[in-house]
Amino acid sequence: MPAAFSGKRLGLLLLLCLSLSGGSPADPTMTPQDASQSQANSLTKMQAGLNGESSALLGPDLTTQEFKQAIKANVSSVTFVEYEVLIPGVSGTSIEKNITLDSATGIELSCRLDSKYSYLKNLQMTWKRGNETIEHINKTENSWGIQLKILDNSKLGSYSCTLKGEEEISAIFHLQVPKIEGKEKPIVSYEGDTAVMICKSFGYTPIAWTWYRTNGSEQIAINDSLLADKYVINSISANVTHLKILKLTGEDDGVYWCEAAFELGKSKGRLKLKVLSFMVPLKPFLAIVAEVVILVTIIFLYEMYSKKKCAEDEKEFDQVEQL
Amino acid sequence: MPPSANVGRAPGLPDGGWGWAVVFGAFVSIGFAYAFPKGVAIFFKEIQDFFGTSYSEIAWVSSIMLATTYGAGPISSILVNRYGSRPVVIFGGLLCGIGMVSAAFCTSILQLYICVGFITGFGLALNLQPSVIIIGKYFLKRRPIANGLAMAGSPVMLCTLAPLNQFLFDNFGWRGSFLILGAILLNCCVAGALFRPIGAARASVKTQATEEGKDALKEEVTKDAMEMSSPTDVPMETKMEEEEGKDCCEKINQYLDFSLFKHRGFLIYLIGNVLMFLGFFAPIVFLAPYAKHIGIDEYSAAFLLSILAIVDMIARPTTGIIANSKWVRPRIQYFFSFSIAFNGACHLLCPLASGYTGLVVYSVFFGLAFGMVCAMLFETLMDLVGAARFTSAVGLVTIAECCTILLGPPIGGTLIDTFGDYKYMFIKCGAVMVLAGTFLFIMNYYNYRMLAKEEKERKAKEEDPKSVRTENEGRNNWNKETAQDGPELEPLREEQEGLKKEVNGTN
Repeated sequence: MPAAFSGKRLGLLLLLCLSLSGGSPADPTMTPQDASQSQANSLTKMQAGLNGESSALLGPDLTTQEFKQAIKANVSSVTFVEYEVLIPGVSGTSIEKNITLDSATGIELSCRLDSKYSYLKNLQMTWKRGNETIEHINKTENSWGIQLKILDNSKLGSYSCTLKGEEEISAIFHLQVPKIEGKEKPIVSYEGDTAVMICKSFGYTPIAWTWYRTNGSEQIAINDSLLADKYVINSISANVTHLKILKLTGEDDGVYWCEAAFELGKSKGRLKLKVLSFMVPLKPFLAIVAEVVILVTIIFLYEMYSKKKCAEDEKEFDQVEQL
Repeated sequence: MPPSANVGRAPGLPDGGWGWAVVFGAFVSIGFAYAFPKGVAIFFKEIQDFFGTSYSEIAWVSSIMLATTYGAGPISSILVNRYGSRPVVIFGGLLCGIGMVSAAFCTSILQLYICVGFITGFGLALNLQPSVIIIGKYFLKRRPIANGLAMAGSPVMLCTLAPLNQFLFDNFGWRGSFLILGAILLNCCVAGALFRPIGAARASVKTQATEEGKDALKEEVTKDAMEMSSPTDVPMETKMEEEEGKDCCEKINQYLDFSLFKHRGFLIYLIGNVLMFLGFFAPIVFLAPYAKHIGIDEYSAAFLLSILAIVDMIARPTTGIIANSKWVRPRIQYFFSFSIAFNGACHLLCPLASGYTGLVVYSVFFGLAFGMVCAMLFETLMDLVGAARFTSAVGLVTIAECCTILLGPPIGGTLIDTFGDYKYMFIKCGAVMVLAGTFLFIMNYYNYRMLAKEEKERKAKEEDPKSVRTENEGRNNWNKETAQDGPELEPLREEQEGLKKEVNGTN
C-alpha cells in the first residue's frame, strides 16, 4: 500500500534544534509527516523556548526540541515538509540530521543561524549535494533554505549547507529510505526442522518484499513459487514478511536478506541462520543425565552404607545387652 | 538398662543431621517448581514466531503449567501418603524430564500445551508437595529455619534459570534448550534421592524395642499406619479393634484427609490464603510493564525484578530464623498475618512512588514482604495442622489456591485495560491482602484462645487419678501430641512430659 499524496494525511510541523555531544551524528530519524495548510511557504514556526535556549548555545552542544503540531492537510497543492537546523556559532562541529522518506514528498531544508550571530557580516550560505551546488536558495532573515521535490531514488542523499564567514560551519541532512531491522542474533535451527524468519518495517509500509540468500559473495533471490516445497513466503500484514524454510539442511546455513521496496528505493535487513545437527545439544544433555545418574547412585550407596553401619552398631549393642 | 541415645531428643525428629541434606534437596526441588514456569517465558517469543500463533495462545502454556502444578496437589498428597516423599519426587523428576524432552520434538502448539503444560506441570507438582512435607518430618524445633531455607530455592533458581535460559536459547535455539532443560530437571531426582524416608515414630521403635516386647513393637507399627487417619482420643486397644471395622470415610481419609475441613485452624488458613493469593502474584507480573508505562527503559525495568529477587532471596532464610526465635514461634500466626498485611500496604503505597527511585524502594519492600510471606507459607500450615496431617492439608490448600492464583493476574490485567491506569490494580491487590492479613490476625487470635481453652480442659482430664498409668497410656499421650493440632510450644512441652512418663513407665 504505497503512501501517496492521495488521501488525507495528518500534518506535522517540525522545528528542530540539534543536540550534539562530542559531535555524534546519531539522531532519531524524523518522520516526514506533513504539512502546512494552503500555500507551501506559509509555515508557522514555533519559536517558543528557542530564544531562551540560545543562551545555552555557546558550545557545540545544543539541545534538541521537537515541536509537533498536527494539522489535517488538504492535499490539493504540493505540500512541503520543513526541516530546519540551527547552526551553532562555533566552527569545527558538524551537525547531521537523518531524514527518513518512504514515498515521494516535497521537502524544504533550511539552516538557520542563531539571531545573536546576526551581527556577522558577509555571510554566504551554500547548499551542496556532493559536489553539486544547488541554486535557488530561499533566504529569509536568518535562514537559508532550499526546496526539493524528492520523486525518486536519485534525489536521495546528503545535502549540506555551509556557512562561509569568518569560519566555515556546515550542517548535513541525510535523506534516506526507512531502515529495515533484521535480527542481530542468529536464528538457531536444526536439520530437518523448519525455520521461520521475520522482517518488520516500523512505521512505513513497503510496496514489496524480496528475500535473498547469500551464496558466497552473491545474493540470490529466493523464488518461492519455484521451490514451493522448500521456501514459503508469507506476508501477514504489509509491514511484516515471513520466510519459512522447510526441511533444513546444513547448506541452508548462512546470511539472509529481506529487502523492502519503497517508492523511493530499497532497504535491506540482515538475518543469520544457523543450522545445527541434533548431536550438538545431545552432548550436554547426555552429560547432565550422566551427572544425575552418578549423583543418585552415590546418594543411595551412601545410604546403604550408613544403614549397614547402623545395623552393625545395633547388633553390637544387642550382643552387649545379652551379655 | 541404659536408655538409648535417642530418648534425650524429641523422638523421630532429627532437627539437623541428615535433615540439612533434606533441606538442600527441598531447596532444589521447590526452586524448580516455582521458578521454572517463569523461566520458560523467555522462549515464548521465538515459539510464537515459529508456530505463527498469537501471544495469548503462547501464554496458555505458562498458565496450564501453573494450574497443573497447583491443581495436582491432592494427587501429590495422596501419593505421598501412600508411598512416602522419595519415590514421588523421583517420579516427578522423571516426569518433568520426559515432558521437556518430548516438548523439544513438538510440531504444534497443542503438543506444547500437553508436554510443557500438563506433563512437566504435573511433574513439578509431584516435586513441590513432597519437598514441603518432608521438611515437617525432619524438623520440629528448627522447622521455621528449615522452611525458610528451602523456600529460598525459588528466587535463587529464578535468578539462575533466567540467564541460563537466555544462554541456552542463543546457542541451541528453543528445541535444543528444551532438550537440555529436560536434563536439568532430572536433577529433581537427585533432590528426591536425598529424601531419606523417616517416620515420626520410627526412632521411638528403636528406643522402645529393646525395652518392651515384641507386641509393643507391633503396636507402634500399626500406630504408624493409623497416624494418617483422623486422630481420636480413643485409647490404644479400641483403636486396634476398630482397624478392621473401618468404614469407607476413614479409608478415604487415609489417603486424603477430608476431615481437615472440620479443623478450625485449617479452615482459617484456607480462607485467609485463598483470599491472599488473589492479590499476591499480580504485582510481580505487572511490575515491569508498569515501569515501562511510566517511562522507564526496558533494562531498568528488568533490573527492578532482579532487585526483588535478590531481596527475596535474603528475606526468606532471615524470616525463617526470626520465626524460629522463642518470641515469635509461639505467635507465628500473628507474624504471618502481619507480613501479609505489610505486603498489602506496600502495594497500596506503590502508586505514590514516582520515578525510578520510588519504584526501586517499592521493589525492595515488596521483595522483603514477598519473601516473608513465602517463607512462612507452609510453616504456618504445619503449625496449625501438625506434621501428620500436613500431607493432606497441603494438597487441599494448593488446589483451593489454584483458582485464585490463576485468577489474580487476569483480573489485574482487566482492571488495567478498563481504567488504563495501573494504580487500580495495585489498590485492588493491596486491599485484598490487607483484608486477608486482618482476617487471619483476628481469626488466629480466636483460634489461639480456643486452643488454650481446649488444652486446659485436656490437662484437667489427664490429672484425673482414675486413669491407669500404663505404658500404653504414656505412649497414647505421646502419639496424641504428635498428631495434635496446636501451637508448637504445647507439643514441645508435651513431648517432654510424655518422655518422662515413658521413662517412668519402664522403670
